[in-house]
Amino acid sequence: MSTYRANWLFYILGDVLACFVSFFVWEAVFISNGGESFMGFDKSDMVVYIFMSFLTGQVISSGGTYNIGEEVKDGSIAMRMIKPISYNATFLFQEIGNKLMEIGVIFIPLVAGVEIYRFAVTGSLKFDILKFLIYLVCCVFAYAINFFFNICYGFTAFVFKNLWGSNMLKNTVVSFLSGAIIPLAFLPDVLKNVLICLPFSSLTYTPVMIYMGMYTGYELLFFAGVQIFWTVVFWLLSKVIWKCVINRLSIQGG
Amino acid sequence: MIYVENLRKEFKKTIKEPGLKGSLKSFIKPKKEIVAAVKDISFDVQEGEILGFIGPNGAGKSTVIKMLTGILSPTSGKCTINGKDPQKDRKTYVKEIGVVFGQRTQLWWDLPLTETYTVLKEIYEVDDSRFKKRMSFLNEVLELDSFINSPVRTLSLGQRMRADIAASLLHSPKVLFLDEPTIGLDVVVKDNIRKAIAKINEEEHTTVVLTTHDLEDIELLSKRIVMIDKGSKVFDGKITDLKEKYGQMRELAFVSPDENALKALGYAEKFGLSDDDLIQEQDGTSCKIRFNSAIVPVSDMLSYTLSKINVKDINVKDADIEEIIRRLYKEGVE
Repeated sequence: MSTYRANWLFYILGDVLACFVSFFVWEAVFISNGGESFMGFDKSDMVVYIFMSFLTGQVISSGGTYNIGEEVKDGSIAMRMIKPISYNATFLFQEIGNKLMEIGVIFIPLVAGVEIYRFAVTGSLKFDILKFLIYLVCCVFAYAINFFFNICYGFTAFVFKNLWGSNMLKNTVVSFLSGAIIPLAFLPDVLKNVLICLPFSSLTYTPVMIYMGMYTGYELLFFAGVQIFWTVVFWLLSKVIWKCVINRLSIQGG
Repeated sequence: MIYVENLRKEFKKTIKEPGLKGSLKSFIKPKKEIVAAVKDISFDVQEGEILGFIGPNGAGKSTVIKMLTGILSPTSGKCTINGKDPQKDRKTYVKEIGVVFGQRTQLWWDLPLTETYTVLKEIYEVDDSRFKKRMSFLNEVLELDSFINSPVRTLSLGQRMRADIAASLLHSPKVLFLDEPTIGLDVVVKDNIRKAIAKINEEEHTTVVLTTHDLEDIELLSKRIVMIDKGSKVFDGKITDLKEKYGQMRELAFVSPDENALKALGYAEKFGLSDDDLIQEQDGTSCKIRFNSAIVPVSDMLSYTLSKINVKDINVKDADIEEIIRRLYKEGVE
């Protein structure tokens, strides 16, 4: 990212602008509702949710599907295969390297901004270091789930050769299921309970709810269990799929 | 060192009929066809040998290289390199080989070149003192010094290729696979790269498998070639054998003030040569005649020419390999 600094800044700026759009939409909802709380969220909760789910989305984002898709499409996957290292590991560490730089730039300003806002509105300091630490651990697992899920999904490129279309579909579905578009709490109970057990709620919804202090005690343990379960599932799945698809690989473009 | 037995690779190919109708048709119900890119090829390479692997575009050279380097799995057949099966144990196998694909790069695009070497040092677990020695050796052979601190994306093609070859040699591999290492390069850089490959082969006994379209590469580097066409092996042997078998053609070139020299000479009638054994062209005063020296000895040809016409300048050239291959392709697969 240091090479293409302007490009990266514009990219982040675009995302932050989208946050503000969503902020104004929700503000309109609260105003029309008489300014009271809405399904257990008051307005300041909603603001925290919007910005923290954006931040969490950045932290856990993984380009595995896109990268594998591109490398299969143009054949440069060959260059990874000739190295004596695990295919997944090269992606993982390349991504972590990029991520640390990116997150370092946006993380502190965003968290500080959210907390200052909360302080200004409620008049008391809501920041809880313990919850924050649990949130961070939760993000690590969320990233692991997302990473291996994306790797698994990306491996389908070996069969379909071009992933662009199905990647778009995946991104839209996942951003809804993970609660990045609206909090899962706003959904009907039956749907919500199903979604909470799926891997995607662990990506954004769970960490943000933990940060906001909506979960306590046994609930925390339950969600930790869900996260660990899905991490292991996708990790194993990525290994199995790799074994199955590697024989189907063909290098395109000479 | 390298044993290849009945190696075969088939690809599934979707056939699209032309036009919009064809596109719609293939979208709804794709028509699949199985194409064999490599058909039961066998050969082996000794340790320290440089093998030239040649063939026209689409012959299946790259597919073979990709199977040998563990990237593709063969449909059937077997290859064993250095006692290992490339597909079975990819990670330990690729530690012992170096690969350069001329049209791709293994360098980190946005980072200075040295960073790539530092990463590779870690990947291949080369220790510090070996790394230093190795880098100074590669620097000397491939002359990387002038651009080693520039980001890779700013390198010229020739620099990039040298850097790529250095990257593939950093861990002192036992086998080096070069897939068109001189593609798109100018004569000077080509020459440098050939010299470097020859030097590394000589000093470290590295086995080299080289594919190329540039026959000069082969002539200068390897004693033995394997030629494939349409997925099958056409020739396997020494270049000198190839020349003996197909290379009885010699080229006689001379400059004569007589504009109708060729007519006056009438080689075809004199020696009874057919069209296959005699190709002649005249451009103003300079004449070029390619003839089969198995039928007409060079000495006969020369003395006849000199006795018949006035010649200013004359020389006889050995058949170059390009000519041989042209003939071989023309004859088709035996």
